[in-house]
Amino acid sequence: MLQITLGIVTSVGGFLEIGSVTTAAQAGARFGYQLLWAIALGTICLIFLVEMSGRLAAVSKHTVVDAMRERFGFPFFFIVCVGIVVVAFMVLVAELGGIGFGLQILTGIGFPWWAVPISFVVWLLMWKGTFGLIENGASLLGLVTLSFLFAAFRLHPSWSSAGAALIPSMPQSGKAQYGFIAVSIIGASISPYLMYFYSSGAIEDKWDRTYIPINRFIAGFGMTFGGVLSIAVLIASALALQPNGILVDTFPQAALLMTTALPKWGFYLFAVSMIFACFGAALEISLAIAYFFAQGFGWNWSEDLEPSKNARYAFVYTIIIMLAAIPLVLGVDPIKVTVISMALTSATLPLAIVPFLFLMNDPIYLGKYRNGWISNTVVAIIILMSFVLAVISIPLQIIGG
Amino acid sequence: MDAALSWVGTAGMAGDAWLRHTTPDKYTRQTLDLSGQTLLQIGRDLRKSPRPAIDNAMIDTALARSRSHIARMSRLVVEKNAPDFRTQLDSLRQDQKLVKQLADSIEASSK
Amino acid sequence: MGLVRDVLDKKLMDREDCCMGRVSGLVMHVSEHAQPRVTHILIGGPTPWMRIHPSLGRVSRWLAGMWGPKNGEAVRIPWSRVETIGRDIKLDVEAKETGALDWEIWIARHVIERIPGSGSEEEE
Repeated sequence: MLQITLGIVTSVGGFLEIGSVTTAAQAGARFGYQLLWAIALGTICLIFLVEMSGRLAAVSKHTVVDAMRERFGFPFFFIVCVGIVVVAFMVLVAELGGIGFGLQILTGIGFPWWAVPISFVVWLLMWKGTFGLIENGASLLGLVTLSFLFAAFRLHPSWSSAGAALIPSMPQSGKAQYGFIAVSIIGASISPYLMYFYSSGAIEDKWDRTYIPINRFIAGFGMTFGGVLSIAVLIASALALQPNGILVDTFPQAALLMTTALPKWGFYLFAVSMIFACFGAALEISLAIAYFFAQGFGWNWSEDLEPSKNARYAFVYTIIIMLAAIPLVLGVDPIKVTVISMALTSATLPLAIVPFLFLMNDPIYLGKYRNGWISNTVVAIIILMSFVLAVISIPLQIIGG
Repeated sequence: MDAALSWVGTAGMAGDAWLRHTTPDKYTRQTLDLSGQTLLQIGRDLRKSPRPAIDNAMIDTALARSRSHIARMSRLVVEKNAPDFRTQLDSLRQDQKLVKQLADSIEASSK
Repeated sequence: MGLVRDVLDKKLMDREDCCMGRVSGLVMHVSEHAQPRVTHILIGGPTPWMRIHPSLGRVSRWLAGMWGPKNGEAVRIPWSRVETIGRDIKLDVEAKETGALDWEIWIARHVIERIPGSGSEEEE
């Protein structure tokens, strides 16, 4: 059962983080329940992608990056590396900023002052911690985000209206903004670094073919956990913030999300939830970037090894965490970085998903565990969607962002 | 005007939360100050794009009154003066209704 | 066996199952009177960058000469040292002796091991 923690930490760190909370809160505040379908769609896509990543690792003993480098060669790997790592780095800045914001609203001390201590703690956990400690610790801490679900229930939402919102519909006004938030939600959900982290985690946890059924359960349960919590944020925002006309352009506005539903503890639970969720995300992204380089270039890598035994891998995460602190120290607004990174994630999705379709159908890696027609259909739809998102995300950001 | 309504609403909700002892003083004061500063900027931006159907003086007055109430609320947080704070909050709620009416009028006239 | 499919970009492991990097390139001997044959595996250096564009190979060589172990050339492993080609390529060599881990060792000694808690203290 502890294996479920890989699913939860992937979900909490990858799904429920500053991007998804911000976009879900904005969606609820501006459009009520209308964008629920975007979160549901993102969740379903992610369940399939994460399950496939785990299956690839368990059967072939290759991570997604390993397989991509071998199958497509160094030039293609390098193009993907640049696209994915640049965007992942921006998301890392946003996550560290999210932790800073959480501490800011609790203490009144501005987030730039927290940038260095937070980065140090994230780095220290990676330096001294094992994969198991990070996985289980982040999962346990991430359970505090269940408070979003509790708050949503306390506000007595209309479940029939919420259910109806699972069917996409256009709003009367603000269509460009609606489109932008929908794209951002899907970009926040289907983040490629989740696949790289999950498949690397499966190798760290030494999965084999016997883990295939568990993998399905973990992917389904874990990603649904994150998706449900995002939906809870949207509902809470729709019921608590929208009636007050609050549009959630800044983090201090989002902090009011649970104050109506949970008068005594709501504010503090929000802050702590954001701190832990963004902390998990920062760890996950740092690991994903370091894994990407190490696996792509064929270095030694494992969170369970001491840093001196996988020096280049440790060097990469040390440098990126240090660099990620710099924009925050300089006062760059993490929310702005979040918004831009969500749009760029959508724009670079094809780079990650298209090669993945080939890998999941390659008999050399997967043998009889290759994708069936259902998985292939879903991936094909995701690829189509990713190309549409890639084309419209930047223009929508300019018009509706 | 949606942005103005959002920030008046933010100040109001933050004020409510403070009165219920839901939020700490520092956060409340910082949010009120941020609301006031943002409303000032919104007022400046609105003056640059005047709307002939709406009296800009009304918008200026509504926003100025809101800012004034918010500024007083921020000082009252420091003094921990809940009764006067509640009075200012009630006045801010009246301002919020006026800002909402103006926002609805602008939206109706742009259609 | 396909060279591109089964060899190029595959991970290399030494006698002790230590990662040595990936196959960046292959050296082949081509002559009129015999079948072309692979003579060496190339690891790192400017080789992978040259596959994108030759100028990147030159930049890589120049940068590698400025910093680190100051070795900008690819490591050459004789093809005769290949033991098995499967999921990874197993070589009958010791990674440290080939030069494939020069960067790993340099970064470990000059950066990582200077930070407390790197795990190098236990070996002293």
